[in-house]
Amino acid sequence: MKSKRITEKTVSVTAAIGSVLIMLMIIANTYWTSKQAISSTNQAVAAVSAFYLESMADRRAKTITNLINNNFDYMEKAVSLIDDEQIDSQQELRAAIGRMKRLLSINRFALVDEDNIVYTQYTTYTGGSRHSFLVNETLDEKMISTVFIYGSSKELCLVIPIDIKIMGKQFKACFVQININDIVDLLAFDDQQSTHFALYSENGGNISETELGPYIGTKNIFDAIKGNVSEEEWNLFRDDFANGKRGTLILNISDVVDTVCYEPVPDTGWELVVMIRDSVIQDQIQEISEKSLAASHMQVVFLLVVATLFSALLFYLIRRVAKEKLEEEKEKSKVFRSMANTDSMTGIRNKHAYLETENQLNGRIREGLIDKLALVACDINGLKYVNDTKGHAAGDRLIKDASDLICDYFSHGSVYRTGGDEFVVLLQGKGYDNKEEVIAAFNKKIEENIKKNEVVVSIGYSTLSSDDEQLYDVFERADHMMYDRKKELKSMGAKTREFDEETQ
Amino acid sequence: MSGKMNSIFRKFLIVAFSLGIAGTGSAYAKDDVTNVSTTDRAVDFAHNLDDYVPAKKNYNFYFTYKIVHPWWDAVALGMEDAQRKYLEKGIVITYEYMAPEAASYEDQTKRLMQAQDGNYDVIGVDVADEEKISPVLDKMIDSGEKVMTFSSSDAASGCKRIAYVGNTHNYQDGADLTEALCEKLGYKGKIGILVGSYGAPCHEDRAKGAKDTIAKYKNMEIVAVEYDMDSIDKAYELSVDMLKDNPDIAGFVCCNMSNPVGTARAVTELGSEAVIVGMDHDQEALHYLKDGVIYCLGVQDCYSIGFDTLQVAVKIADGNLPGELFPDKTDESTTIIYQEDAEAMLENLYGDVSQ
Repeated sequence: MKSKRITEKTVSVTAAIGSVLIMLMIIANTYWTSKQAISSTNQAVAAVSAFYLESMADRRAKTITNLINNNFDYMEKAVSLIDDEQIDSQQELRAAIGRMKRLLSINRFALVDEDNIVYTQYTTYTGGSRHSFLVNETLDEKMISTVFIYGSSKELCLVIPIDIKIMGKQFKACFVQININDIVDLLAFDDQQSTHFALYSENGGNISETELGPYIGTKNIFDAIKGNVSEEEWNLFRDDFANGKRGTLILNISDVVDTVCYEPVPDTGWELVVMIRDSVIQDQIQEISEKSLAASHMQVVFLLVVATLFSALLFYLIRRVAKEKLEEEKEKSKVFRSMANTDSMTGIRNKHAYLETENQLNGRIREGLIDKLALVACDINGLKYVNDTKGHAAGDRLIKDASDLICDYFSHGSVYRTGGDEFVVLLQGKGYDNKEEVIAAFNKKIEENIKKNEVVVSIGYSTLSSDDEQLYDVFERADHMMYDRKKELKSMGAKTREFDEETQ
Repeated sequence: MSGKMNSIFRKFLIVAFSLGIAGTGSAYAKDDVTNVSTTDRAVDFAHNLDDYVPAKKNYNFYFTYKIVHPWWDAVALGMEDAQRKYLEKGIVITYEYMAPEAASYEDQTKRLMQAQDGNYDVIGVDVADEEKISPVLDKMIDSGEKVMTFSSSDAASGCKRIAYVGNTHNYQDGADLTEALCEKLGYKGKIGILVGSYGAPCHEDRAKGAKDTIAKYKNMEIVAVEYDMDSIDKAYELSVDMLKDNPDIAGFVCCNMSNPVGTARAVTELGSEAVIVGMDHDQEALHYLKDGVIYCLGVQDCYSIGFDTLQVAVKIADGNLPGELFPDKTDESTTIIYQEDAEAMLENLYGDVSQ
């Protein structure tokens, strides 16, 4: 598979997309965390509400149960006390009943004889139609009922069977009536109006006449909540009331959430209902929650800012490093290229560079794109002699001197060292135009050098002709001319290879 | 919301009643039934004692009424309210409030004789049979007893009883209920009349009012008049018989508290469309009214009857006679209520419409 080159743009786009994705993930995570926090808070509020209410309802229901049981005990004792008294008249009986009534601090303490005549502190009346527990001729066990006083308050009626004789009459029952408002006072619910409660009959009727919050008030609770809970929940709620079960109901009325907890009051047929507005607990938790959320938001914002800055910095650094690396690579490439084309001794272009140039020029020559080109072939005279007689260091100096000399004169040309003592100069443009003068000056200098025993370089040159197909053709002519010059310089006293060989 | 409305309704009833009393305060013997609109008061629970200062600190009374029945239990509650209010003023009132299981002038006579032997400041009686009881009362008065009548039935005209507190317009109640029935039936059809106890003035007067009203309309006919002796079961049986004998019976006039309950049961059971009008505030009857089985009910203010009876008894015990302090007949109101009033009335009287 062909590997694709990774560009700077690719890196930048990847970094940008990565940064955006990270930010989106942070935001999504923050949103999810917030939702979770709200959901958890609501669940906690509901749980706290339910727990709080269940505990409260349970305690209050037990309070009523204790009240009932205590009153049953008191009634037994009161009847026993009356039985112990020597009562011979209705007046004495009324006085005794009055004492017990005061002792028990209740609305009505009464005895019932076998003819269903009811004896209270101030009245004696036939009670067959007035008291439901007298429907049966005999009374076998304790009874608890709710009395709806015609147009008046509602009372809790407790009845015990008795078996005593007073004034020669057989008495069959003792009953007390306790005003439900007194029971309500006994329950002593919180006075901050954050928790509401009411006692209900199994039919959902409010018998305590206490308001169960602003919406339900004192209405029948079944009627009040119908439509605000599902049909299934409503039916279950009714069934629980009918069967004396406990439970919890969440009411959501006009976006206000109320938790309702109901607890049966044993033996009474009542349900004690306690309600708290979730907002009450929520308000308590909200402040803490808001602070926590605010801190979380700050952290998230801080994290986002840091992440953004860090991403930007990282992006900048990556880009800068990449750019520097690229520059470095370019520089290295340039150096390597330079090293490959440069003669290490003289610092001028080497044969490799010449061959590259030759290759390029050949193409242009073939295409007829060049019309002015001159080639100068150069050769150092007496290099072997210097190497042999004065050592290679001296020979190297001679090469450098020759190179410097050639470069000095052919400053408008390209100088190549193509062999140990061979150089080529390519002249184009100004170098081409001035070639005659430069070559003449160079040759004059050489001839002077012969006399001074300094560096001698034989040169020959040629220009591109229309018949030339390649640079080598020009080179050949220049090379021939160079050899001719070498001979000429030999005649002037310059050392040559031939000379060297001859002298050895 | 309905609780609040109910409270407003109660207050309105009280105010309306007070205004009504103010307007009729000087009419000691008002014969007109208080056949008022449904929004007016039916039962007034807000009572205060008048300015009269009792002469004694202790009173002992004896009251006897026709029959053990919830109607008189409501009267008893008014009495107890007055007794408590006297007690708050330091005046102790004790009393007996007794009745037989079945209405009987013999039983009532026996009770009165026994009461005469007791040490009571005043003896009050709800006359079971005016013809039989009135002479007994005269004898008691002659022997120095202070005797008054109360609740549903006064003694016969000319009786020496000192005063009467209760319904003074039973004839008109019967007439007004029947008028409502006739109007509902378009002044035509067969009518059955149920009465309570033989000779009970309140029942007989209402029945007479019903008969006279029906007689005004040529297309209406009374097919039966029966007495249930204040028994719901008997009323049911009689109504079933009437319906079987006259399947096309169009309506019933029920003259006491048990009549409409028994009749409604029969009408419901037999699937009759007969229209029922009746008396009083029985809880079951109010439910039938709410359900539309009963067309309308005449509700007497029993609570006020009881409260006022005790106040008048105290004045009589102190030796006062009818005049400025109290009238010869203290009139108490009757209100005709219809289906739309039933729920509020149930709540008012029994505290819980579902009970």
